[in-house]
Amino acid sequence: MPSFETAAFFQQFLYDPKNPLLFNNGFFVFFFTAFIALYYTFRNNFAVRRYIFCFFSLYFFYKASGFFVVLVIISAIANFVLSNAIFKSRTKSSKTWLLCLNIIFNLGLLFYFKYTNFFISFSNDFLGSHFHPFNVLLPVGISFFTFENLSYTIDIYRGQFEPAKKFTDYLLFLSFFPKLVMGPIVRAHDFVPQINKDYFVTENDFAKGFYLIISGLFKKLILSDYLTTNYVDYIFDDPARYTGLENLVAVYGYAAVIYCDFSGYSDVALGVAKWLGFDIPANFLSPYQSKNITEFWRRWHISLSSWLKDYLYIPLGGNRKGSFATYLFAAIFFAGVFMTGTHLLHLSYLWASVLTASILLLFILPAIIKKDRAGIPTGLNLLTTMLLGGFWHGASWNFIIWGALHGIALAVHKVWILLTGKAFASFNNSRIYNIIAAVLTFHFVCFCWIFFKANSFDAAGNMIHQIFFDFSPSVWKAFYANYRPVLAILALAFLLHLIPDDLADRVIGKFNKIPMLGYIALFFAFVIVYGFFKSSEQVLPIYLKF
Amino acid sequence: MNSNRRIVIFVLSSCLLYFLFSLLGSLFHLNWPVFKRINLIADVITKDTTAVATDSLSATALVAPPLLIENKASKDFTVYVKPRFITDFNVDTTQPALLRLMQKLHELKKGKKRKIRIGYFGDSMIEGDLLTQTLRTLLQGEFGGSGVGFVPVSNPSAKIRQTVTDNFSGGWEEYNFKNAGKNNQLFLSGYLFRGSNDWVEMRDHTIKDSNAVIEKRLFYGYADADAPVSIKVNDNVVSVPAKETFGNMVIGQNKSPYIKVGVSDNRLPLYGISFETESGIIVDNFSFRGISGVEFGAIDTTFLNAVAASTNYDLLVFQYGVNVLFKPNDKNFNWYARLVMPSVKKLKSSFSNADFLIISTADRAFRYDGEYKSAIGIDSLIKLQAGIAYETGACFYNQFSTMGGHNSIVQWADTTPSLANKDYVHPNHRGAAVLAQYFFEAIMKDYKKYTLTQK
Repeated sequence: MPSFETAAFFQQFLYDPKNPLLFNNGFFVFFFTAFIALYYTFRNNFAVRRYIFCFFSLYFFYKASGFFVVLVIISAIANFVLSNAIFKSRTKSSKTWLLCLNIIFNLGLLFYFKYTNFFISFSNDFLGSHFHPFNVLLPVGISFFTFENLSYTIDIYRGQFEPAKKFTDYLLFLSFFPKLVMGPIVRAHDFVPQINKDYFVTENDFAKGFYLIISGLFKKLILSDYLTTNYVDYIFDDPARYTGLENLVAVYGYAAVIYCDFSGYSDVALGVAKWLGFDIPANFLSPYQSKNITEFWRRWHISLSSWLKDYLYIPLGGNRKGSFATYLFAAIFFAGVFMTGTHLLHLSYLWASVLTASILLLFILPAIIKKDRAGIPTGLNLLTTMLLGGFWHGASWNFIIWGALHGIALAVHKVWILLTGKAFASFNNSRIYNIIAAVLTFHFVCFCWIFFKANSFDAAGNMIHQIFFDFSPSVWKAFYANYRPVLAILALAFLLHLIPDDLADRVIGKFNKIPMLGYIALFFAFVIVYGFFKSSEQVLPIYLKF
Repeated sequence: MNSNRRIVIFVLSSCLLYFLFSLLGSLFHLNWPVFKRINLIADVITKDTTAVATDSLSATALVAPPLLIENKASKDFTVYVKPRFITDFNVDTTQPALLRLMQKLHELKKGKKRKIRIGYFGDSMIEGDLLTQTLRTLLQGEFGGSGVGFVPVSNPSAKIRQTVTDNFSGGWEEYNFKNAGKNNQLFLSGYLFRGSNDWVEMRDHTIKDSNAVIEKRLFYGYADADAPVSIKVNDNVVSVPAKETFGNMVIGQNKSPYIKVGVSDNRLPLYGISFETESGIIVDNFSFRGISGVEFGAIDTTFLNAVAASTNYDLLVFQYGVNVLFKPNDKNFNWYARLVMPSVKKLKSSFSNADFLIISTADRAFRYDGEYKSAIGIDSLIKLQAGIAYETGACFYNQFSTMGGHNSIVQWADTTPSLANKDYVHPNHRGAAVLAQYFFEAIMKDYKKYTLTQK
């Protein structure tokens, strides 16, 4: 006879590093039920409601990341105090000093936890030092809340926003549990005014929230997890063992995985927020439907790209001028391209110079075509933004390469528009042109994902080598026979991606009110599908070539 | 209208229903797997342990027929579980297990000029010279010798192998374990090549001592031709007698680590080229992905005897098993014992001068209940492999316990930097180097026993 275990029950309330809290834990069901019951009970008492919200958010973070929760609290205190000081100071210079202090504090924390070991190994590899790597763990969500802190204080510095009046307002903005772990990056001026408002949700919000939560969970827990554990991880871990065909499918697979994982999490966050009466702007808009790389960045991780635009690209000089940082990063970048040429691609000095010069030309070309000198820093500002944006994703060269490739692609697209905009005007809106452009864009994005996901530059190189030089189409039959379920899920992921973004809104709009039983039935249908996938038989890798 | 109340009602009622379903599931042992995985209260309810107990019982049961472990006073079978230890199952552990090999190593160490050749057989676990590259370096460092040993004309890992650059033309006809059939004349590598206007070039990257004179040996078979077959070696014409069933001949002897061979007559069966020194340790990597070791049974016995007569192997290492564990729920591997025994016996009798060491499978995990764990049949497979060693008079080395036993592959894959791939099967190059280090240390322990008996 099974029996209740008291010790295990209490253990559930503590942080478990092996099983951190996410939306798919059984614990989250109870957590959210308890939270929403209390939130609803105290809905008219804004202060109590706020305390409850803060407590649950911090507790969520504790269950997800352990005692790093203290870091969130310290960081909230420091930013709250500093931003108020900035707001109150009279002179521009003291405002600037305080802002610098704030930036050093926030970036310092981020650097310590995220980039220390990267710079230690950089120094050991290139400068011949012998530092030992630190034993630091990366606190969950630090990249996200650092950016939220920065945008908040910079907005106050710019006079665009009055600081939050109460500390708990700020703490809630920072720790709001639906988005704490994986974004989206929320802006204070959007969010803080919604904190102390009546708890009001329309029937449409209920339906839309439900849709976002269930479809987000479906993308993350079913599509993404299935593809990751049954295919993508095997291949990316050791691409040289597999044929080009398997590698190519793994790249498509990863394109689906990262989108489903990331946008799925964002959707759940948006949906939960909607149910609690908060509106957070959409973070992904079917990015693989983009017809060019510029459009891709308007549809992919929108909260990040708009953050980078407002707080990095524009301060660098935007599309008007260059700054010291523009030229500094550009110089580092072109030195890096040269070194990549000589060290990684094993080119001679001459060819490495040719490579560097041609990329440099790419960034100068728009200015030459338009006969406008300001065009030069514009391209370089964009490049710097993409490089640092890549580095934000993780402390490794592969992320920098990924950012650089996107930066270069944005420049290429700009040149392309300038060269072909008028000449192609008669057909560049045709369906066939758009389809070709979308397919090309998607494949370029996929190519960049190889660097994003691969364990090392060598692994990425092996993968590309296998795809181009050892494709082995003859193994297709055996491949299909072994990986049929994987291919079916992959096809489903891309089919869902082709659905227009506003379809859900249009369908929901057709219903006046969906009966409660309908929601409950849909929810349990999802739970059963989830259970089915969790217990599905593992797809094992096989050798297709001997 | 405000729908907040409806949201709260939805959440509370769904949670309550979900909780009730979970409670009912736990109380009445509903064994529908779909529901077991999503039970909300599974973590706080003690599981029914009787089912698990019977599982582990059958896994640890005595090895079933066709192997019967005979109790002998001088032998102790149970020692097979010991990690990082080479055993011949003798109760007296003061004597070395690989006695003949240790004698030869001792002679080499004492300054006698001789080759000691080790053939290391394995599956994808050693593909790309993984494990063997570290073992070779360590052994050559301790006992001398240079060169990467035997390299087949091509195999699927030819392009990623770090220790050799192996380029070849596209026209080679390839025969291997997967397409050659019974009584074949494949070499120990499992491959045979025939070229017509084809070439292969190799560069050995393992040679540290630039003054060492490297023998480049061509491994070839019987050519059905009237006269010796001419080949091109670095643009010089060389004639290969090719009248014996199997032969190996020196086609280059200088300090260069490079050689290029061109073949225009496809009657000449070619196996590969070996880089070795006149004296010292040679480690041949015989990797063939996806196999389990039963394949050697199909090689023609006369041919194997001819290989043994011309190429003196002093140790054969037989490391398979991971491909036997291809179904997560298998626990009975008697079929494997029946198939692999003839293979082991055949190799042992053809290479009677060589010591024979069976290395067990390393850990392999499958996903059970959403979590990666060691294959449930792994204990019984390892016991069976040890049983095969015991029965055939071979020595045994437990790779599984050496790695850390149950679930070690999961830890290896999840640690940073990782030691294994996320397929939870293959240790990566870091992990393979660790395994090689442990194995080398086990050999040195055995060697030390020998040197102690000599004092």
